[in-house]
Amino acid sequence: MTWELFAVFIGSSVRLAVPLLLAGTGELVSERAGVLNMSIEGMMLTGAFGAAVGAWATGNPAVGLLIGIVAVVPIALLQALLSNTLRANQIVTGIGINILVLGATTLGYREIFGARSREQIPGLAKWSPPLLGDIPVFGEAVFQQVWLLYLGIVIIVLTALVLRYTALGIAIHAAGAEPRAADKSGVSVTRIRYMGVMFAGFMSALAGAFLSIGDIHTFTEGMTRGAGYLAIAAVIFGKWTLTGTVLACLLFGAATALQFQLPTLGVNVPNAFLIMLPYLLALLAVGGLAGRQTAPRALGEAYIRR
Amino acid sequence: MRDPTQILTEPLLALQGVTKRFGSLMAVSDTSLDIMPGEVHCILGENGAGKSTLCNLIFGVHAPDEGEMRFRGEIYRPAGPSDALASGIAMVHQHFSLVHDMTVVDNVILGQQRGLVNTRAWAQRLERLANDYGFALDPYAKIDDLSVGERQRVEIIKCLIREPRLFVLDEPTAVLLPDEITALLAVCRRVSAGGAAVVLVTHKLVEIKKAADRVTVLRGGRVVARSNRPAEEIDALVRAMIQGDVKSLDKSAASTLGVGAPERVRNGPIPSETPTLEAVQIDGLTVIDNQGVTRLDHFTLAIGPGEIVGIAGVEGNGQSELAAALSGMLKPSSGRVFLGKLETTYLSPKELTAAGIGVVPEDRHAVGCVVEMSVAENIFLNRLDDFTSFGFLRRKELLGAARELMSRFDVRAAGPGIAFSALSGGNQQKAVLAREITLPKLTCLLAAQPTRGLDVGAVAAVYGHIRAASQRGSAVLLISSELDELIAVADRIVVLYRGRIMGNCAADPSERERIGALMAGQAQ
Repeated sequence: MTWELFAVFIGSSVRLAVPLLLAGTGELVSERAGVLNMSIEGMMLTGAFGAAVGAWATGNPAVGLLIGIVAVVPIALLQALLSNTLRANQIVTGIGINILVLGATTLGYREIFGARSREQIPGLAKWSPPLLGDIPVFGEAVFQQVWLLYLGIVIIVLTALVLRYTALGIAIHAAGAEPRAADKSGVSVTRIRYMGVMFAGFMSALAGAFLSIGDIHTFTEGMTRGAGYLAIAAVIFGKWTLTGTVLACLLFGAATALQFQLPTLGVNVPNAFLIMLPYLLALLAVGGLAGRQTAPRALGEAYIRR
Repeated sequence: MRDPTQILTEPLLALQGVTKRFGSLMAVSDTSLDIMPGEVHCILGENGAGKSTLCNLIFGVHAPDEGEMRFRGEIYRPAGPSDALASGIAMVHQHFSLVHDMTVVDNVILGQQRGLVNTRAWAQRLERLANDYGFALDPYAKIDDLSVGERQRVEIIKCLIREPRLFVLDEPTAVLLPDEITALLAVCRRVSAGGAAVVLVTHKLVEIKKAADRVTVLRGGRVVARSNRPAEEIDALVRAMIQGDVKSLDKSAASTLGVGAPERVRNGPIPSETPTLEAVQIDGLTVIDNQGVTRLDHFTLAIGPGEIVGIAGVEGNGQSELAAALSGMLKPSSGRVFLGKLETTYLSPKELTAAGIGVVPEDRHAVGCVVEMSVAENIFLNRLDDFTSFGFLRRKELLGAARELMSRFDVRAAGPGIAFSALSGGNQQKAVLAREITLPKLTCLLAAQPTRGLDVGAVAAVYGHIRAASQRGSAVLLISSELDELIAVADRIVVLYRGRIMGNCAADPSERERIGALMAGQAQ
């Protein structure tokens, strides 16, 4: 493998990992607060659709991004309401929302763009940080990325700091691990969990927008193709730590990047297997490699004061 | 300085005609109560008397259906614990409100501030306060790694650091060692000396003698007695609490309560010095959990026929694992168990029942019964085959047999056909006992925390049945965290600490201190 190819591999691994990183961080916060947010897939798809339509209609991708975020708000509120206030089963409601969103975005897409359109949509600009972008070979291939990626890194670092050094971080941990203790210490479990789901919605909107107007500059039906579920798997694989989740997302991103890299290297692996690879890794991760003890104790359970 | 007479006349917290219902159950009924600043006010009552509900009303966990509360003269209507905390009311809960995988200091910070956290400053404050009260706490230890007593200290510090005006403790001594109880009562006295009010909920009379300024006795959700000189009126308070005379009580049950001196009552045959054949032989039983922690370490014990052996220890020192391994719910990592000559180490629960092991499990709701099924079905859960022909249940016969057992064991219920969940805790436990004790062959009875949550009458009944089983020649293994219970019922006591046997003691009141020391892990 030449250095050029390696640089391209790293660059595309990172690019492909970004939607997972954004959505995975959101999901992590939601799960740490105790809500298993299965609708992350649907939230991403909504974000992707909203951003695409917004950018297409206004001609301004940044406005499109904002519209994508706003479009996810009602979905996130619905999930938060169902899983906290109405105490519905979180997995069932999440999957329900995903199916609903798939139908709604497909319908909306066909109404707006027509059945088989592949219309180019104005996308977010690329940017490379000074100095890093000037590194020979790697500079352009790795660091020349959509600015949303760098914004995402900033948000992820901020999330890590909040989880580690603030009262909010302690409250999120307590709400997911021992909601009764949190309640009896004067923390509103419901408020923390609503915030967790809303944050997951915000991050998924960014992730979805990255897919549609950041990466390929178009919207296709069901374009998230399970990325939301991969993000959930990354949280489990990362044992509910932010560092672990980030590493898992990068691994899944690299596995996806291999699809495009191995054939150019002349390695003869069936393409179907390569497409399968990230999902296979996720399955292995969730099934056996990851310990189950590390999950927040009250994950997926609605809190009732007794 | 305030006028002392005014302090006496103006209650800090006043409850007036407070009522709380849960469905058809009157948990607290028309209760009025004044808590004065600077006093230790004990709430005395049996399990189910409404003590915890009363605390939860004060702390805002529940809202009263009727009546009003006034705090410092103003109407007090908390929407939740956060309102109570904001008013200056802190509570130590019966089941601790700690996050197990967080550090001590993070638990103390929880709910106390917003924004960036200066963990080091909090840790210093916490250590200063703990030292001030005379106990050591490592602020950076994980709750999971602490003993029950240490956890309670965290819970107490978490409350005290808020400098509460009213400090509520719900059954705080149930899980503590004798020394820890003394220290806790000293904390209560000190907090009240500082001008705050302390509400101490208990069903143990020793604590009242040591710490209470005033006592209110609850029974069936109502106030049935009050006393301003509790130490002198203790007998009257007990009578009010149990609605009967202390003298008429089963002696062992009374000593468990703390009425009078602990007393040995030995009904069972005194086992001969050299038993011919051990009924139960446990040899080097070891349990290692899935995280690699040794929960039970080479536990070796022989129990003769008719002998009652008590297992003492603070909860979480291997008792649960011992019970689970013996009842076939958990595979031991090594070691062997014999029932007479039969090895039972790896038998399933069903095979163990057939071999003659009766089990009264620690958690009767999760393991002991199916609460959605009827009383009759639960009583014969392990013998339903006896009432089955060609795959069909002979329901009439089952109900008849159940009715008979229910009257023999004094299980009070509307009938054998009603749901098990409709029974009170005491009646549920008696039903489980009825099932296990009437096994066709009962070589060994394993009873884990059999009287937890029961009232005095039910406790006496449970003791009676356990003794009767031993008189009929069954070996009995009694696991309990109540030392007085073991001293009253068992023939000898084995102390468990961190999964190891710390020592063998005679079940005698004079051994109390030694057993207490062993329970705390101090070898002699």
